[in-house]
Amino acid sequence: MNVIRLKNVSRSFGGIKAVNNVNMDFFSGRITGLIGPNGAGKTTIFNLISGFIKVDEGEIYFKDENITNQPPWKISRKGIGRIFQDIRVFKKLTVLENVLLGKSNIGENPYNLFLQVKKVEKEERGNIEKARYWIKFVGLEGMENTPGENLSYGQQKLLSIARLLMGEYEVFLLDEPTAGIHPEIVKKFIELMRKIVENGKTIIFIEHNMNIVSEIADWLFFLKEGEIYDMGKPGDILGNEEIRRIYMGLSDVKT
Amino acid sequence: MNYVLHILVMILIYGILTLSLNLLVGYGGLLSLSQAAFYGIGAYASTLLIIKGVNFFPSLIFSIFLTSILSFFIAYPSLRLKGDYFVLATLGFQIIVFSILYNWVSLTKGPYGIPGIPGPKIFNFELSTPFHYFIFSGIFFLIVFLFFKKLYNSPYGRVLKSIREDEIAASSLGKDIPLIKIWAFAISCGVCAISGSLYATYVTYIDPTSFTLDESIFIASIVILGGSGNLKGPLIGVAFMIILPEFLRFLGLPDTIAPNVRQIIYGLLLIILMKYKPSGIIGEYNLQ
Repeated sequence: MNVIRLKNVSRSFGGIKAVNNVNMDFFSGRITGLIGPNGAGKTTIFNLISGFIKVDEGEIYFKDENITNQPPWKISRKGIGRIFQDIRVFKKLTVLENVLLGKSNIGENPYNLFLQVKKVEKEERGNIEKARYWIKFVGLEGMENTPGENLSYGQQKLLSIARLLMGEYEVFLLDEPTAGIHPEIVKKFIELMRKIVENGKTIIFIEHNMNIVSEIADWLFFLKEGEIYDMGKPGDILGNEEIRRIYMGLSDVKT
Repeated sequence: MNYVLHILVMILIYGILTLSLNLLVGYGGLLSLSQAAFYGIGAYASTLLIIKGVNFFPSLIFSIFLTSILSFFIAYPSLRLKGDYFVLATLGFQIIVFSILYNWVSLTKGPYGIPGIPGPKIFNFELSTPFHYFIFSGIFFLIVFLFFKKLYNSPYGRVLKSIREDEIAASSLGKDIPLIKIWAFAISCGVCAISGSLYATYVTYIDPTSFTLDESIFIASIVILGGSGNLKGPLIGVAFMIILPEFLRFLGLPDTIAPNVRQIIYGLLLIILMKYKPSGIIGEYNLQ
């Protein structure tokens, strides 16, 4: 099923077209990779889907609903979650607090906090249990009370993944999810990505490690200068000599 | 003894005010210079009802609602303005409110103030001595303290802190930032009204000069000095800032220069703290 559709989407920064008239379909039960050289528009596409950057032209649909230019929190609540390239864990908050923030609680509204005390407490207990499960899953067990700022880069990345998994999203936008993570955890994470899509969810990811891309992606979009240069199965895209040259930054080298 | 009780009552009243600002500064990362305006609106709203014969408690509830609703005037700019620009917007609101209190003579009696405000009546018992007010303010302080304690340890407190840390990450997790901030302002300003109502009935006289920009800066200084982001910092700040001038009194400084020395000490303390300990004496949140 088509879950996310970009229809003639464009976005410019100054005079530069970061994304130029792009049409894309992302299907459920599939892991789709966005690859391409730096500045190709990969992260911009993530920012457009998740609402952090406004679309200049075109529309974005989530399950046939037009979500173009809606605020990020609304898009997140519809079921589209993301992690950032620059991680963005809450540094002064503990690991447990960070992960708990991945899921909403009716107690986030002070009105419910004082009028539905039992319901809020019950929900919180359930969430803490889930949060502990994901903390253990990413290997941060025992660090529940450690502030985010005391974690290493890799650990912060794991924390952001645990926070995302807590959200039970339908679509996961993963911006370089495995960079800086221990290979053992990467392996576990790849297994999880498979499991997630088997359950009918959608994963879209940006990745520079081609071994990981070829291992997990079902479909690839190769972007160049804000446009789709090519798309297809990983074997076809990664086997394309021209794409390899562009990706390696050798496109201008005369052979 | 009455002197000590008076100091304690003032610590409790300012303690409530400080806790209210702590919600915005320490948890929301929003430095507001209009707390005195809401403190004043609360004081006037209660007083105007009390002198018309309404009991203290309904007057208090009305003033809490009124300030909470009016808080939207600073909550709205906070959704669009960041950092220094937001501080300037709150400063503007503070000046506007002071001007209204000062010039709307038919309602507020302007610079003449409103004297003879009766004390709160509980059944047939009217509070009158500093001891009564100490107990009365103490109960309110305790309620407010426990309220904030619950708030900070709740999902709401957690979301507020996440917004302080990183709005982009918080909104990517589905947090409705405008709503969370509007709530924070409504709660903070509503609590200011409690202080205002207690102050008006304790001092029995109010005029606009008790609710000036200086007062807002004083409240902000308490929070910054003690440290924000937890419940202890602002309270240490309030005890320190209220007791300090009383302590200076015993140094035998001439009356003409004592207030100036006090201001100089406050100023110096703020400069030193901002340089060496920007999170305040025991604060968790660093304003920088």
